[in-house]
Amino acid sequence: MSTSNPIDPIHQFAITKFVEIEIAGIDVSFTNSALFMFIATMAIILFFVIGLNKSSIIPNRMQILSEMSYTFIANMLRDQVGDQGRAFFPFIFTLFMFIFFCNFIGLIPYTFTVTSHIIVTFVFAGLIFIAVTVLGFVKNGFGYLKLFYPSGIPVFLAPLIIPIEIISYLSKPISLSVRLMANMLAGHSILKIFAGFVVMLGFLGIAPLIFLVALYGLETLIAALQAYIFTILTCIYLNDALHPDH
Amino acid sequence: MRDHELKLKKLKDKIENAKLQNQNKNKANPSSSQMGKVLRLAVEIVAAMAVGLGLGLLLDNYLETKPIFTIIFFLLGSCAGFLNIFRVAKSL
Repeated sequence: MSTSNPIDPIHQFAITKFVEIEIAGIDVSFTNSALFMFIATMAIILFFVIGLNKSSIIPNRMQILSEMSYTFIANMLRDQVGDQGRAFFPFIFTLFMFIFFCNFIGLIPYTFTVTSHIIVTFVFAGLIFIAVTVLGFVKNGFGYLKLFYPSGIPVFLAPLIIPIEIISYLSKPISLSVRLMANMLAGHSILKIFAGFVVMLGFLGIAPLIFLVALYGLETLIAALQAYIFTILTCIYLNDALHPDH
Repeated sequence: MRDHELKLKKLKDKIENAKLQNQNKNKANPSSSQMGKVLRLAVEIVAAMAVGLGLGLLLDNYLETKPIFTIIFFLLGSCAGFLNIFRVAKSL
């Protein structure tokens, strides 16, 4: 944890408090994480305000971008959930845009990646998991429990299958959150380590620099892909809740 | 007149070409979602194992039967991990 070391790959994930606030003994300080969540939200609002402020039949670049992001999520939701999923479009769209912007803002040097902390992604995944479970019970009643006992399985296998299905179900939020967090954490650490090589090697640093550029391209892909995976898995879980029989 | 028809034919060819390219692009889309599915696999098995282990430890702490449930639930968790992988692989 030496802050004096200029190339400490983990230091970029440290939380620093800007304004210390404490309400009823709970620490709710305004940290750099909160700041970058705020920045991401503002960036999304700005993105759509600029994109949609002068809607024309022949769109400019910003309008195409904002409309493309809309149709992209709308198509994904329709493919995965069907017409019933339309009610959840605002939620899915907000989720995708927020994670997407957090991942991309984190790629800019000297910024903080909100999604590289397990607590942030786990709160997302946990809330989605609880919401989807409640939704499943509301829509299907106790028929939702059939999810844990698929049809066509002999009775004597039930004591084995049911715990396995329950564990498999409970592992959903964990795999969802760990995947996003691990990808962001690993990617940014590797970028920082290779940037350190560039500094250390002096003139020879040109070799890791070339590699760093390629790696940065890969990280850009991963940032987009992980936002996409998180959203599509949310859609799949939503589909399981709405139609548990297939 | 002839010139006109030639131009029209050229335009038709252009449109057909563009349509074909668009189709190819649409075909490329599923492969990107398949890549997403493959990237999911690794975490899936670890998460199920972790949940199994966690549940086992919780039960053991609660019932004070130290290693039994930990072992059983870890094995069940591993099975669940393989089940998850199998399901993802089946949907590819």
